[in-house]
Amino acid sequence: MTTKIIELGAHQLALEEPMYFRVKLEGDRVADLDVLPGQVHRGMEHLVMRRNLYQNITLLERLCSLCSNSHPSTFCAAVEEVAGIAIPERAEYLRAVADEIKRIASHLFCCAVQANAIGETPLFRRIMEVREIMQRAKEAIYGNRMDLAANVIGGVRYDLTPEAAAYLAGAMEEMKRPLDELYLQFGNNPALMARMAWVGVLPREAAVECAVVGPVARACGIDYDVRKKSPYGAYDRLKFEVPSQTAGDVRARNLVRLAEARQSVSLIEQCLAQLPAGPLCADNLPEIPAGEAIAKSEAPRGELMYYLRTDGSDFPVRLKWRVPSYMNWDALKVMLKGEPVGNIPLIVNSIDPCIACTDR
Amino acid sequence: MTDLTTNVAAALAMAAGEEINVLWRRDRKGVLTGWCRLPCGEALLPAARAVAELEGRLAMVTPYLPERAKEKGEREIAYHFDLDGATLTLTVVLPLEWARVPSLTPIFRNCDWQERELMELYDVQVVGHPDPRRLFLDHTLPHAPFERLVPYSTFTNAATGKALWDKVLAGEREDA
Repeated sequence: MTTKIIELGAHQLALEEPMYFRVKLEGDRVADLDVLPGQVHRGMEHLVMRRNLYQNITLLERLCSLCSNSHPSTFCAAVEEVAGIAIPERAEYLRAVADEIKRIASHLFCCAVQANAIGETPLFRRIMEVREIMQRAKEAIYGNRMDLAANVIGGVRYDLTPEAAAYLAGAMEEMKRPLDELYLQFGNNPALMARMAWVGVLPREAAVECAVVGPVARACGIDYDVRKKSPYGAYDRLKFEVPSQTAGDVRARNLVRLAEARQSVSLIEQCLAQLPAGPLCADNLPEIPAGEAIAKSEAPRGELMYYLRTDGSDFPVRLKWRVPSYMNWDALKVMLKGEPVGNIPLIVNSIDPCIACTDR
Repeated sequence: MTDLTTNVAAALAMAAGEEINVLWRRDRKGVLTGWCRLPCGEALLPAARAVAELEGRLAMVTPYLPERAKEKGEREIAYHFDLDGATLTLTVVLPLEWARVPSLTPIFRNCDWQERELMELYDVQVVGHPDPRRLFLDHTLPHAPFERLVPYSTFTNAATGKALWDKVLAGEREDA
């Protein structure tokens, strides 16, 4: 059998960000893979040590577009932990609203990109149309379609007026039926089944060994969700399920995402129903003392972790974060092994890779 | 004391052959974080094995220069492990010069990239890493840029297009 090595870049894989792969082929099947990151390395962990804690909220929101709210909210949670700041209850709910809005939009984008990767253009358009409901909600409430600028140390910097809350409730109502339809379609449509079922399989044991997180892990039967395992913000008062699958294939990953998006609709509705009155931000913020803290959240792609070390000044001694995609790249070696070349773009996109987040 | 804190204390003590102090903090939501300092790089491997036996998952590795690092001649690396929602941080104290730590890849496969990144950003040698190539940074950048002044325009490597593609293809020829 002929062994050949090919290089694949963003343009061949329908990725919107630059990531390169060196793929070893045996015949037309993948035998091995080398992931070559670093093309959008911006030295951001260096930059954050040259900016004060407030400036870093703005910088971190620009780390990535699709999970842009998770970074500032988790960073703020780390600062609040170091300083012993309790954020107001209303702010906890408003942070959850922002996170869940971003989660729905992110998951739908991932499913749309995969539809595009397999040539299902009408489905791609349909998903993006549904996602547009979320984009408009973001634009209406936060004034922006991607970066929400919702977080500040000690709380949030936006509020939901009764009018905005009613608008958002209407948008959630609008999302339910399309999300249910998409779930059925990704689960049962023969054309999608033919391309996605039993493709890019990651067995549970390999998922544990690679330590994958988020929907990639939950599609292999690992029901780990930071919102349940390490509750933060309002999540300890909200009811939701952690959808999981066991097949570990492309189809399972998408079913997990679509079921999660449906759960997010419910979470936003619960937040709107329970939204307590009160301030948006803690009064009289203390000086940030010397200390260290860990903060975690469930970003759209899975567990996001921040470590903050301070020395009593306004600048972090060290601010380190590990994004969920960072954990998931390695699993592509398992998912792609033995797959035909033609399946590479779909499988790579099925882990919902975030390259700007990975490189930092 | 919970079962978790007791088990971690027992496992780390057995690994080290002496009692190891772990400081546990519980946040407002009841989530536990444990903080433990290891005196040297050699203490890391047995401690990491003990965490693996408790079904811990390596979540993140944070190398850093602590406050007054040069004065004290010390650097630290924090290894953060997930224990079913709780986070245990094992912080290894290392000399500033000639720092060495064992690779944790034989125990935690997902330590691979974390250690490659650690090696390129900081002046630390990871002993026994199976693939110690640079991960993100171009070879034209100096070693350990987080420990020296590097102009930001040199540091950032964001570029797409033909020049980058040519570089990727040239890399293949170098590897061949």
